[in-house]
Amino acid sequence: MVKKITFLSLLAAVSLMADSELDALKAQLKLQQQTTQKLLQKVTELEKKQQQAEALQAKKAKEQEEASLDAAFAKDTSSSFSQTSYLPDIALILNMSAVGRNVKNSDYENFAIPGFIDAGDAELPFNKDRGFNLNYAEVAMHSMVDPYFEAFAIFHLHPDAFEIGEAYVITTSLPAGLRVKAGKFKSAFGRINEKHQHSWNFDEQPIIYKALFGPDSISDPGLQVQWVAPTDTYIMAGVDAMQGSNDRSFGDTEENNLYVGYLKSSLDLTDNLSVLGGVSWAHGKTTEKKSSDVYGVDFTFRNQLGSYSALTWQSEYLQRNKDTNNTNVATQKQGGLYSELVYQYNNNYSAGVRYEKITKNETDLSAYSAIDTSNLDKYTAMVQYKPFPFSRLRLEYSHDRTKVIAGQRKDIDSVMLTLNIAAGAHGAHAY
Amino acid sequence: MKKIFLTVLFITSSLFGALNVDTTYSTLGAVAKKIGGDNVHVVVLGSSKYDPHFIVPKPSLLSKLRRADLLIINGGGLELGWLPPLIKSANNGKIQAGASGFLDMSHFIKMIDKPASVSRAFGDIHAQGNPHYSTDPYQVLIMAKVIARKLEQIDPAHATEYKNNLEKFLSEWNVYLKNYDAKMAECKTKKVVQYHELYNYFLRRYDITNIGNIEPLPGIAPSSKHTLQLINAMRANGVKKILQDVYHEKRTAKFIAAKTGASVAVIPHDVGAVKGSDTLESFYNMIAQRICK
Repeated sequence: MVKKITFLSLLAAVSLMADSELDALKAQLKLQQQTTQKLLQKVTELEKKQQQAEALQAKKAKEQEEASLDAAFAKDTSSSFSQTSYLPDIALILNMSAVGRNVKNSDYENFAIPGFIDAGDAELPFNKDRGFNLNYAEVAMHSMVDPYFEAFAIFHLHPDAFEIGEAYVITTSLPAGLRVKAGKFKSAFGRINEKHQHSWNFDEQPIIYKALFGPDSISDPGLQVQWVAPTDTYIMAGVDAMQGSNDRSFGDTEENNLYVGYLKSSLDLTDNLSVLGGVSWAHGKTTEKKSSDVYGVDFTFRNQLGSYSALTWQSEYLQRNKDTNNTNVATQKQGGLYSELVYQYNNNYSAGVRYEKITKNETDLSAYSAIDTSNLDKYTAMVQYKPFPFSRLRLEYSHDRTKVIAGQRKDIDSVMLTLNIAAGAHGAHAY
Repeated sequence: MKKIFLTVLFITSSLFGALNVDTTYSTLGAVAKKIGGDNVHVVVLGSSKYDPHFIVPKPSLLSKLRRADLLIINGGGLELGWLPPLIKSANNGKIQAGASGFLDMSHFIKMIDKPASVSRAFGDIHAQGNPHYSTDPYQVLIMAKVIARKLEQIDPAHATEYKNNLEKFLSEWNVYLKNYDAKMAECKTKKVVQYHELYNYFLRRYDITNIGNIEPLPGIAPSSKHTLQLINAMRANGVKKILQDVYHEKRTAKFIAAKTGASVAVIPHDVGAVKGSDTLESFYNMIAQRICK
């Protein structure tokens, strides 16, 4: 009996327990089902959101693409083949003057320098007239051609003439310190032959240059080879083979006749003081097909006194030995020098003096037998004001004792005020 | 005499093997030395005593350019007035603009003060922006990275050394900059005037306001009218510091100082411009010290 009761109660307990466990499990399951459902819901919601976002992004991207396409379509296509970024650097150089002179224009045009220039033979492209002169408008261009060549051109426009002053290419990538120049160019003979009129320290050309080479100096079609030595000290050697059309000293028209050789070197004596020196030799044939040689020596001392201040002393001596048909003087030997001192006070003001002299004149002077042809010299002084590096006003006075006018020695005094401007992409000048 | 002749004629023997690196200015040169180490021979073309716009194109610079394997320029138009004719006559294909041995640092610098329109009526302005970025010590980081990359490119045999030098230098310089910034945080000077806009990169970096310039337009000498305007502006803004470079005339600055009670500080614009600024560290230290004093 007891056994039975125990058994029954046990059974009841078990069934009771089982009942309550089942309920609990069911409840748990339900809860879990709810959670799962919620999670699922969340997942779908998120998925939807993501899809929306993606769609929006895609739409935006598309809109953007459309917009940029629209913009591209709206762009002017007429400049598709535009090459403006390859345009050469272009500069305009204007040079003009007001001149006062103690000689009438008609007399001045017919001056002679005994032994060098006969009356009426001088070319006078600069500052010729009393009063106002527009000397030139120069158009200078420069551009890289390709990785191997760089091109330069200077178109020299006089009031009534167009002239190719220079037009040449130089190589940029030759090995061993070599450079070749080809075209029409100014020879590197001496110190100032290569320089253009507007970069001279004085407006008037040195007499000896004018007498031996004329106003354009040695400037011809030709070929130049220059070599810079790989040394601590600057040493440069060069050869110019030129047409030789300059008939003041050369001018044989039958063939190219002019060869110029030069050697230049420079030393820095101190941090501020440097010297540049050179020797040059030009050998050619005259219009009479006779040999003509011009020798040159030059030196320039420059003492830098500050960023904008310097003292420069520059001198050159040139001598020409020229064979002639003249039986009295088979070989003319003529020479002269100039020496100039320029003080640059600051970036606005500078001043300078120059002395020139014909030192040797062994030639047939029988045409001038009536007058004294010794002491041919000239004194020049200038003050210069540069409001800015690209404009320059210069007042220059000269007392010239080298001229003969109408068979008589005539000292010429002249005062000139010149204005030079360089507008546009004008490159820096060399030393 | 014979000896002189020999040294003149022959390549300095110590240069054999080393890469010849020319820089137009001294700060670039100092950074190039740090990165190049013993593998490069650095030559600075333009003395920092002079106006960087108007370096005299002495022929002796030609012989330096002739032998350069790499030419590093500041760029931004700063060398336009003196370098192109030298490159034209140095006859060295390696360093022509566009060649692999030509490096224009300004292409890697974020240039400021770019003019909206360019005309010489506004004086000597630079179309590419203010080229005087060397006064900001943070630009040294860029210079170092760019120079290292360039040296690795043209001298791959020593690439690892350049990389190591760069890493070492950058970590040193970053420490230096941290200390520098801390010093500058205490700088009392907040407003200045300067002769030419040489120090804009530095001033902008450290929130110092430039009230005006002594020159009326870049490259144009001071005029009395402009000087009076500047004095009035300085009084109105309470400016007590005039930044003067080493190469311009100092009379105008002294005159303005006397009228306004401001002091004139001569600030180096490049490494070595003032005595005692011969290293990168001493150069930037001197800028901070003299501006803030």
